[in-house]
Formats: sequence, C-alpha cells, structure tokens
Amino acid sequence: MNEMTEGHTVKRYDDEMIFLHRLVLEIGDLAQDQLRQAIQTLNDKNPSAARDVISRDQELNDLDIQADEEFINLIVKRQPMAKDLREIITISKAVSDLERVGDEVRKIAQLTIHIYDTDSRPPNRQVLRDINTMAAFVGNMLKISLIAFDELDALKALDVIRLDSELEEEYKSALRRLTTFVMEDSRAIGHMVDAVLGLRALERIGGHAKNIAGYVIFLITGSDVRHESLESIEKQII
Amino acid sequence: MQFNTQVVSPVTPLMVCTDIELIAAHDNRKTVGKISVTNPRMRCRNVNVFYGDKQAINRVNLDIGRHEVIAMIGPSGCGKSTFLRCLNRMNDTIDSCRVTGEILLDDQDIYDKKLDVVPLRAQVGMVFQKPNPFPKSIYENVAYGPRIHGLVSSKSDLDVVVESSLCRAGLWDEVKDRLDQPGTGLSGGQQQRLCIARTIAVGPEVILMDEPCSALDPIATAKIEGLIDELREEYTIAIVTHSMQQAARVSQRTAYFHLGDLIEVGETNQIFTNPQHKLTEDYITGRFG
Repeated sequence: MNEMTEGHTVKRYDDEMIFLHRLVLEIGDLAQDQLRQAIQTLNDKNPSAARDVISRDQELNDLDIQADEEFINLIVKRQPMAKDLREIITISKAVSDLERVGDEVRKIAQLTIHIYDTDSRPPNRQVLRDINTMAAFVGNMLKISLIAFDELDALKALDVIRLDSELEEEYKSALRRLTTFVMEDSRAIGHMVDAVLGLRALERIGGHAKNIAGYVIFLITGSDVRHESLESIEKQII
Repeated sequence: MQFNTQVVSPVTPLMVCTDIELIAAHDNRKTVGKISVTNPRMRCRNVNVFYGDKQAINRVNLDIGRHEVIAMIGPSGCGKSTFLRCLNRMNDTIDSCRVTGEILLDDQDIYDKKLDVVPLRAQVGMVFQKPNPFPKSIYENVAYGPRIHGLVSSKSDLDVVVESSLCRAGLWDEVKDRLDQPGTGLSGGQQQRLCIARTIAVGPEVILMDEPCSALDPIATAKIEGLIDELREEYTIAIVTHSMQQAARVSQRTAYFHLGDLIEVGETNQIFTNPQHKLTEDYITGRFG
C-alpha cells in the first residue's frame, strides 16, 4: 500500500518549489523597496538617488530572468501537475507583474530627475501630494498580495482586490484635484502632466498587485478570477 | 457484429445514487466527479472484482462514452488494469477471479452467462503492454481475426481489410512491400501498431489499451498517441497508463483509481490542473511514497 507523505516523493522537487517560492518573495521585497526609494527621491528632491533607483531596476530584471530559467527547468524536469502546476503558473505570472512594477517605479524615479534636475521651476508641493498618498496605498496593496502568496491566504488576496476598487476612486479623485490646479493656474499644466504620469504609474502598480492577488486565488482554488467582478470573487472565497 | 444472444440476465440491483456522488466501498472514499455521460458506449455499475477472498475492485461505477478516450490512472495495484480487463471479460481466464455488478455494452450485459465471449472480445478489442504479434507474417497477423470470425468471404475482401487496417494503424506505408515477412521482425513500435491493426481488423466498437506504450521509445510512443487520437473518431478507447503526461495528452476524461476504489473521474484538463480529491492531487503531484 502506498503511504501518503507530506512532500514530494522526490525531495529535490520540494526544494526547487521552495526555492522558486522564496525567489518570488525576494523579487517582491526588492520591488517594494524600489517603490519606497523612488518616492523618497521625489520627496527629497534628489535626482542622484533617483538615478540609483533606475540602475537598481536591473537587479529586478536579472531576478526576473533567473526566475524564468528556474521554472522552465522545473517544468522540463518535473512536469508539474495540479496544484504544483498552478503554483508554477502563479509564480511565472507574479514575477512578470513584479518586474513590471519595477518598470513603473522607474517612471517615478525619472519624474524626480525630470522635475528636479532639468526643470528650473519645480512644482508646488500640492501638485505632488497625491503621489505620496497613492504610493502608500499601492505599497500596502503590494505588501498584502505578497503575504497572501506566501501564506496561501485567499482572504488576504480578496482584500487586495477590494482595495483596487478604492484605488481606482482615489486615482480619479487625484485627477480631479490636479484638473482644479490647472484651472486655477494654467502655467502648472506641465507639472500637472508630470504628476498624472506619476499617478498613472502608481495606479498600474496597484493593478499589478491586484493581478498577483488574482493568481493567488487561482493557485488556491483553481478558479481564474482575473476578469470576474468583485461580487463574483467574493462568492467563491467567502 | 452482434452478440450470439439477446437475452439479458438479471444482475446485482443498482444502488440509488446520483451522478455526482456515488458511495464507494468506504464512506470516506466516495467517487468524486461525474461518472455518467450522455452518450455511453459502456456502462459499469457496482462492479466488484474478487481474486479468491481478496477484493480488488470495490463497487466501481463508470460510463465510457462513444468516441472518447478515457484514461485510467493510479498507483500499481490500484485495480485499473483489473477493471480494464473486466470490460471484455479477460478476467474470465483467471480461475479465482469473480466479477459482480453490471457492465453493459450498448445496453447488452456482457456478463450474461449465455453470451459468447469470442465475439465480445472482437467487439471490445485489447492491446497489451508488450507487443504480442502472432509468429506469422504481417499479413496473417491482421488477416487472422477477420478470417476466424467469418467477416470476409473472399481473398480480395481480406486483402482490403488487411490494407485498410494497416492504413488506419499508420503502418501500411512501412510494411506494404513486405507483408509476407514475420510480424515479429518489426520494431517494437511497429509491432504495437501491428497489434492495433489486428484489433481494428475485426471491427471493434471499443479498444482497451493496457499501458500500450510502456515498452516503446518516445518516437514510437508519439506515433501510437497520434494514432489513438485518430482512432477516437471511429472507436471508443479506454487506456491504462502510468504516464500522467500521456493520459493528459491522449484522453478527454480521466479516472483515478486507488486501492480498488474509483476515487475521481472528470474532464482530463480538470483532473490534471484542479483535481477535487486529495488522493488524486497527492498522486498526480508525486506525493505518494
């Protein structure tokens, strides 16, 4: 009679899956740190530090490629099935999203350089205020989505998807406020465009966090919820 | 081809059960998934198999649909081959083996005592793990079945059956110039396709395959798998395999057996991406020691 075991029959398989799982968390940590640093460069008006953030994005790209190689090798060697297959797909997609978070962070760092290195008239603090608020919001979304992945917690993943709806509202409100600034002072239109680009980058980071949360739900339940309404997802999870 | 008798004998009464959830031998080992299909070629209900006092199959309920490939997977000793062999009464050849329950082929009970198993085994053909051509010529390997079953009346008819069977088995082009050569002189993969041609030649409705590629190299395996896909248009195929990748490639439905119980059955895509039973999940992800 076969005996049930907690891990794979081939222990090395477990080790490889654990390695990939930790690699996602490492890439996630780096992406979150990059986001914090990029926002800090904006607050500190520090183009030099912004250039450091941009150059550090290469680390994310390298980890992305490493993860690709690792899970291609794992597929070739192990031909994962069922939950293992879903985890590999989840990892593959999550890593891609995290790499794109890095790309969005670059845009914010480039904003710092554009505003404080080349622009002779930096914008009013008020114009950039919403970037700080939204950065904290999406940073939290990213953090929860990675915890959900690490702990296989569908409820936390659901929280992220709920937060994305709030983020969309926050984004629209920020755009309305920027429009008001421009109506009051049309000379601020250049800075407004900069701020919109920053907000758009943050809104996309929130979208990537939501994607990761969706993959986690797929990993746990087997249901692809990417294009489903919040209500429909809630019915499946709760 | 028709059975020799139309008499349907009484069988073990069916349990009252739903399609979704059937009670297996133990209450904690219910079959998960939908056991019935809308277009069954074979219908198995409450099938038990005993070898002496030992029960090898526990009240298995399963339909096999027309023009589908159903894969049966599970660890060694789980009963998948035993169950497959029930489908054309191959277990009759084992003295200590006893089968109860009901297995219908097109509504005909195949365990009817008045039923002649010879035409049944033509109707439900079998391909074995190891290629087993007769020690005869390639032509005779294929011609033997139609001849003894009286399916052809002339040599020219037989020639047509041999050629069409070898064509459908994807072997004609490789052997057409040496039909008088011994079948045993072919490569392993060719021998297995010859066995499939031999099975096809007697006009079966169902083809049972018991690990048909386990003795073959990857190229020969790929050819057999391609052939299975083509044969599905004309036949119903039940295949036992230890290769889950093969089950995923060739079948539309998959049944997972464990210790004589049918644990789960469902669409192959679902079984291999999101199985519903923990035993299935543990097996296909390699968590059985």
